[in-house]
Amino acid sequence: MSAHSHDGHLPHEPEKATLEGRNKILGFWLFLGAETVLFGTLFSAFLALRDQVLDGPTSQELFQLPLVALATGLLLTSSLTSVFATQALHMHKVKAMIWWLLVTVLLGLGFLGLEIYEFYHYVHEGHGFTTSAFSSSFYTLVGFHGAHVAFGIVWISLLIGQLAKKGLTVTTAPKAYVAGIYWHFIDVVWVFIFTVVYLMGKVG
Amino acid sequence: MAHGHAVKRYSGLMDWLTTVDHKKIGILYLIAGGFFFLVGGLEAILIRIQLWKPLNDFVSADTYNELLTMHGTTMIFLAAMPVIFALMNAIVPLQIGARDVAYPFVNAIGFWTFFFGAVLLNVSWFTGAAPDGGWTAYAPLSSTTFNGDHGFDYYVLGLQIAGIGTLVGGINFLVTIINMRAPGMTFMRMPMFTWSVFITSALILFAFPALTVGLAALMFDRVFDANFFDPSGGGNAVLWEHIFWIFGHPEVYILILPAFGVISEVVSTFSRKRLFGYSSMVFATILIGFLGFMVWAHHMFTTGLGPVANGLFSIATMLIAVPTGIKIFNWLFTLWGGSIKFTTANLFAVGFIPTFVMGGVTGVMLAAAPADFQYHDSYFVVAHFHYVIVGGLVLGLFSGLHYWWPKMFGRVLNEGLGKLTFWTFFIGFHLTFFVQHFLGLMGMPRRIWTYLDGLGFNEMNLISTIGALLMGLGTIFFLLNIVVTAFKPKNAANDPWEDGRTLEWTISSPAPEYNFKQTPLVRGYDAYWKEKMDGHTEMTPAEPLGSIHMPSPSILPLFMSIGLFITGLGLMYSHGEWGKIAGIEAGYVVGGIGLIITFTCMIIRSLVDDHGFHIEPEELQDKGVKA
Amino acid sequence: MASNHSTEEQRPVRHKVEGPKKHIIAFIFSILLTLIAFAAVAGGEINTDFIYIILIGCAILQVFVQMAFWMHMKDRGHTFAIIGILFGVMVVATCVIMAEYWAWW
Repeated sequence: MSAHSHDGHLPHEPEKATLEGRNKILGFWLFLGAETVLFGTLFSAFLALRDQVLDGPTSQELFQLPLVALATGLLLTSSLTSVFATQALHMHKVKAMIWWLLVTVLLGLGFLGLEIYEFYHYVHEGHGFTTSAFSSSFYTLVGFHGAHVAFGIVWISLLIGQLAKKGLTVTTAPKAYVAGIYWHFIDVVWVFIFTVVYLMGKVG
Repeated sequence: MAHGHAVKRYSGLMDWLTTVDHKKIGILYLIAGGFFFLVGGLEAILIRIQLWKPLNDFVSADTYNELLTMHGTTMIFLAAMPVIFALMNAIVPLQIGARDVAYPFVNAIGFWTFFFGAVLLNVSWFTGAAPDGGWTAYAPLSSTTFNGDHGFDYYVLGLQIAGIGTLVGGINFLVTIINMRAPGMTFMRMPMFTWSVFITSALILFAFPALTVGLAALMFDRVFDANFFDPSGGGNAVLWEHIFWIFGHPEVYILILPAFGVISEVVSTFSRKRLFGYSSMVFATILIGFLGFMVWAHHMFTTGLGPVANGLFSIATMLIAVPTGIKIFNWLFTLWGGSIKFTTANLFAVGFIPTFVMGGVTGVMLAAAPADFQYHDSYFVVAHFHYVIVGGLVLGLFSGLHYWWPKMFGRVLNEGLGKLTFWTFFIGFHLTFFVQHFLGLMGMPRRIWTYLDGLGFNEMNLISTIGALLMGLGTIFFLLNIVVTAFKPKNAANDPWEDGRTLEWTISSPAPEYNFKQTPLVRGYDAYWKEKMDGHTEMTPAEPLGSIHMPSPSILPLFMSIGLFITGLGLMYSHGEWGKIAGIEAGYVVGGIGLIITFTCMIIRSLVDDHGFHIEPEELQDKGVKA
Repeated sequence: MASNHSTEEQRPVRHKVEGPKKHIIAFIFSILLTLIAFAAVAGGEINTDFIYIILIGCAILQVFVQMAFWMHMKDRGHTFAIIGILFGVMVVATCVIMAEYWAWW
């Protein structure tokens, strides 16, 4: 480990100051490559099964564009606030960082709330998990994404606690940087979900 | 870190349960993988005993289906993969001059999740419901409609948990190789084994998520009544085949590439020659890895994809013969004109080359889609994939184990017993599987419990069974060798073969826990050989002697994996088998408890910083020559 | 771990902190692309194939912008990140082709 830590002076880009930090960032990027395949396989299962609605409602009958647009707006904005947190990290401003991460978490919670409401609503419309191959693959794809959002919320919340307690160090900086990358990735996946699942589903 | 921390260091069993040392994790992988190799081998022997004569009833048809399913699943996921990971862990950091892997803690998680996934899968034998629909778990055979017991629940959840371990292991080795090479060790100076592990890890990274999704979807179908692969719910059974083989074909290259790496090292060392065509070897490995993702549907020629798809996948498959051929010729040219020493390791390597060529040739035969309609689901296919997996991978692993045994354990395996192992195993292998080509061409289908008399299958099945027993004998000789060697003094030299070319032979056998007292400076390909040729006896250090930072041992990886094991078990029995607790299925309650254990461990790991400990230069001087 | 391993990410860095401006521009750009996509669907009456092209084009463009700016992929030292994502995308492309052409017949 390099000699940067514990002297009160943080290096520029503290997330890359140690070999551990660089390993963490590189490994996380590779993990995102794997996540790409994970979501891609879920997408392809959905694409293959999206017309198999049986007796359940079709995607045209089901999807409400205003709700999806609102969810999209929330997640997109949260991605912006998390990049502001990363910027605060580069400027070594812990307080601003915590603040931006808090906003990110709140927006994420809003998104998750909308999704839960949406699923609840669909089930009442007769679109349950076991209704058809379309419904199973829909809930699995969107649910996997929702689970990633939920995981991100818990992760970033714990990170806020660590930053408040330990401050910005060469240990906490890579964690915060990587969490930011993760959050953007979730947003990127959502771009494809609202395009392929909702918008293309609405077009038919 | 500027200050030292007192870290608890364990001994005995606790040392092994908490270790984050890649060399010890390698040994754990070898023990566990070796154990499951014996289990899978036993299943194979039982299969062959059942088939030695027509209309035999040594085992029942149901048991036979379980045996063949568990044999395939065990050998691929629980035996071959971990033994590969054993060699990766034991050797790769040493070959690139690194003190450790990138994530020692994650490395331990990788081992323990594999181990508990493997145990979960094999628990099925004791609950009376081993999976019995083939290792490919084709829907609808694996669906609740046709498979109402818990067999495929064990398959799905066991492999899912083991798969997590493999994926994180793959990421670990990618980052280790990219970020932690010693100064001067450029990519094009990396030993061939490290290169093959690099590409294998990349294939793991991109192939395993597809399996994760496939297994999750099949689990949802079975546990939560989803409709992915159930035609009555609008699902598509062929979709499972696609997803399985999008993972499955890269998987077979994940298995074979490390064997290619081992053979390259062994052939070069024991010919006392630089590996012929090193750059073309690297290029061929990358190309095989890339093409591995483009050929999955050749497992599905007979599903009716149509002439366009069959034609495309046929051509793509045949293309793979080109880089593989490059490799074969490079090994032959490396041997050509070398001063060859036929040690056990080299015997296995030299035996590998023609055997693998035979498996490759039948592979090209199978790649021709129209011909495949004849071979499909016959013993010809069984012969083909055993030639590439046993004749390729297993011979490669035996070669690697004999070659690197002194580096892992400090003792050289007995050469006499080693050669006996080779000849019994090699002859037994060809006896078992060569005749199966002809059985297949004569029309014997695979995955059948028994066959009628008078079809002309009798003699060749008998030969095949005798061969299988010989392979078993070869394995026993290998075990005997391990036991005999374990009682010999631990006195292997740093470079026991005297012709070592790469960095692992510059340090003591076995390697000290910090690997390199001083990180070596690499001045060319075959770093150690280059120093030898320049008249040096050891590497030039790239840094002064200093204190070495080491990661702390941790019990958390073990508990995280136990949590996942409990979750898997709970999810399976969530249909009333265990009754209800407070109105909720007991299975879900147990599953939830498991998840809480796992996530608690993750949170503890995140919140408590691991400062590790330091080994100071004075200690290094004392330990300097410790064997 | 010892500090003995050098990678290309360790070269001297220019110590200049980026401003929020380009991130806000990326945000506005993303919002615009999202609006175009939603408007194309809500507007109705256009040819379906054409809508698909607009939708997929907008999505790819938006993802490209977000990855380049927000995920810093345009910055130095992201060689393996780019290789990792691109290879993942390639595997995904084969999966999607499978789902569209080889799952039903």
